[in-house]
Amino acid sequence: MTPFLPAEWLPVIFAALMAASILAYVVLDGFDLGVGILLPGMDEERDRDRMIAAIGPFWDANETWLVLGVGLLLVAFPVAHGIILTALYLPVAAMLAGLTLRGVAFEFRAKAADLQSKRRWDGAFFAGSLLAALSQGWMLGRYVLGFAEGWAALGFAAMAAVGLAIAYAFIGAAWLIWRCEGPLQRQAIAWARQAIWPMGIGILLVSAVTPLVSARILDRWFTFPEVFLLAPLPIATAALLLGLGSLLRHMPLPGDALRRLPFWGAVGLFALFFAGLAWSFFPYVVPERMTIWQAASAPESLSLILAGAIFVLPIILAYTVLAWRIFGGKAAELRYD
Amino acid sequence: MDALILARIQFAANISFHILFPTVTIALGWVLLFFKLRFNATGDAKWMDAYRFWVKVFALSFALGVVSGITMSFQFGTNWPGFMERVGNIAGPLLAYEVLTAFFLEATFLGIMLFGFRRVPGWAHTGATFLVAFGTTMSAFWILVLNSWMHTPQGFEMRDGVAHATDWVAIVFNPSMPYRLAHMLVASGLTVAFLLAGMSAWRWLRGDRAPAVAAALRTGVVMAAVLAPTQLVLGDLHGLNTLQHQPAKVAAMEGNWETRGNVPLVLFAVPDEAARENRFEIAIPSGASLILTHRADGVVPGLNDFAGRHPPVAPVFYAFRVMVGTGMLMIACGLLGAFLLWRRGVLPDWLLRGLVVMTFSGWVATLAGWYVTEIGRQPWLVTGVLTTAQAVGPVPAASVGATLAMYLLLYAMLLVAYVATLYRLAAKGRVIEPAVLVRGVTA
Repeated sequence: MTPFLPAEWLPVIFAALMAASILAYVVLDGFDLGVGILLPGMDEERDRDRMIAAIGPFWDANETWLVLGVGLLLVAFPVAHGIILTALYLPVAAMLAGLTLRGVAFEFRAKAADLQSKRRWDGAFFAGSLLAALSQGWMLGRYVLGFAEGWAALGFAAMAAVGLAIAYAFIGAAWLIWRCEGPLQRQAIAWARQAIWPMGIGILLVSAVTPLVSARILDRWFTFPEVFLLAPLPIATAALLLGLGSLLRHMPLPGDALRRLPFWGAVGLFALFFAGLAWSFFPYVVPERMTIWQAASAPESLSLILAGAIFVLPIILAYTVLAWRIFGGKAAELRYD
Repeated sequence: MDALILARIQFAANISFHILFPTVTIALGWVLLFFKLRFNATGDAKWMDAYRFWVKVFALSFALGVVSGITMSFQFGTNWPGFMERVGNIAGPLLAYEVLTAFFLEATFLGIMLFGFRRVPGWAHTGATFLVAFGTTMSAFWILVLNSWMHTPQGFEMRDGVAHATDWVAIVFNPSMPYRLAHMLVASGLTVAFLLAGMSAWRWLRGDRAPAVAAALRTGVVMAAVLAPTQLVLGDLHGLNTLQHQPAKVAAMEGNWETRGNVPLVLFAVPDEAARENRFEIAIPSGASLILTHRADGVVPGLNDFAGRHPPVAPVFYAFRVMVGTGMLMIACGLLGAFLLWRRGVLPDWLLRGLVVMTFSGWVATLAGWYVTEIGRQPWLVTGVLTTAQAVGPVPAASVGATLAMYLLLYAMLLVAYVATLYRLAAKGRVIEPAVLVRGVTA
């Protein structure tokens, strides 16, 4: 296809699309992986079923954003895709094993013969969710440090792994606050209260380490006048954290007011954090090694994909909204009929 | 073992496990739509009962297909970075279109199809069922376009060692695509036909004679009777297409070493690649010449014309015989079953037991067929453009081996759980709650 845009714009557009997909993935699969991580915290069988029901109609489509994000990396920046995924070979394999366990445990637990085997699949659901979250955090940590070797780098990756798992648990709890009621909702509020401050510390640590390891990123954040333009990012993050912390102390509110707010607040936090990372790394797709222009596919191929994406993405968004409306409100018992 | 062979085994293990589930869901989606439409048209509760049972099988198969498919999307980068570096400009858009037009469609409407029965009007539920079936088929279309292009590439030019697309119509409608797509879609239909018939026969033999069981049994047998002979014709056409574009593969399938006329059809043999001959050969004189050229003295290419550039003979040769043998059994079961259903209305116990044995025959034939075509493409990854050895990544053998062991363990466990769950669902089907659905409420 003849490129219909200046060729140097295409990598920027695809980097933006890829970032948007990965953010959508982190938020959307984040909440259902988070629910999986929280599952063993609930003993009551009915409430476990409700937790699963709250993510049942969504997890499949949520996970597709990962395929789109990695798919865009694959098709738009093939060389970078190879470098990144071979560098992250083992954590990718661990994540895939986790996602596999999580995805199938969801189906198998619903069809289990007795409570004992159902609990075994619950265990697989938890382990799979946790493993996926930890490996994604590990990959984030490795990526941020440009795949640096050494104990310090691995320690940072381990911290990012735990941090992301806690962040997922938080957004999962926030989702349950929105989608559940009664004792389960109160439990979810308690979980969210426990997770919010460790998550805040995690955000702070990653934000602090990134400029320390790279002079380029330090420059990018702390030169005049960028420092003023960027100031809203950390300020908004701090304000959101404090606001959410205060809101959670007062929940549940009469009439279930503001039940959606913790979730959308969490989405805001994820987006702000993500915007900070994007600002730090742009235009590199492999940190400090390869820019999006060096890694991009041929403009003809990118144009063809973009033409399809412009046409299809609004349709995908429309039917995603439709599905969210159909399965809106509090989660009821999930039935196949 | 070196990293290349381990990476190949890992890819083979992943894709073999993955293909089992799309093979079920592609056709089962359309069968579910058929059940739903029959219910809408007749109001007969048995169709809805059949839908409710088989939609659970669909959900389980779909989940396994999704998770193993995600693994596939990472395999390109983790194990075969050379593939995207060399032909990414062609593979990229095809994969992107699969995600955009198929994955989101099926994943989103699956939620409505599975859990939305009481939340949306009947027509919308039927529509969701259609969109899921359509999505799985679109997914098959795009991935088979890419796979076919790897077998018979065209519509591109090489610039600085990288393929650039010059003609997308030629890329999408490459010579082997129509044959491969048709062959695979019918393979999915046959897999589901025997899954339906086999599971229903098992329930029937256990005394579960609910109308829904009989309806699914009949659907499976009729599908088998129609699709199995169709597949024979499609397979033959696909073979002729392969003869034209990948003669070395056909030579390996036939176990034919010398280019000559009156080539026999080898029913069984042990190909010996070192001695370049077949041992213990049982063959029909001039059979291969007749099938491939429609003349007894027709010249069929032999492996010795491609010395050093042809695929390993034994796996292609054996896999081909497993596929054709399974196909012949399918034709026999399908035609016999349909004939007896037509004449007597019921199937005798011995045939029901035969169908139980054939429950997963579609998987056997599909896997064997893919081994024929994929191993048959070796040593190429993209015929004439990129060899498999050129595409493999720099990952150490130990990492590839460790993850391979993990995948094998996981897949073995999941496969056992999958089959066990199918039979448990089928056993539980006996006490299924009576269908309380009234046509007016749901349609």
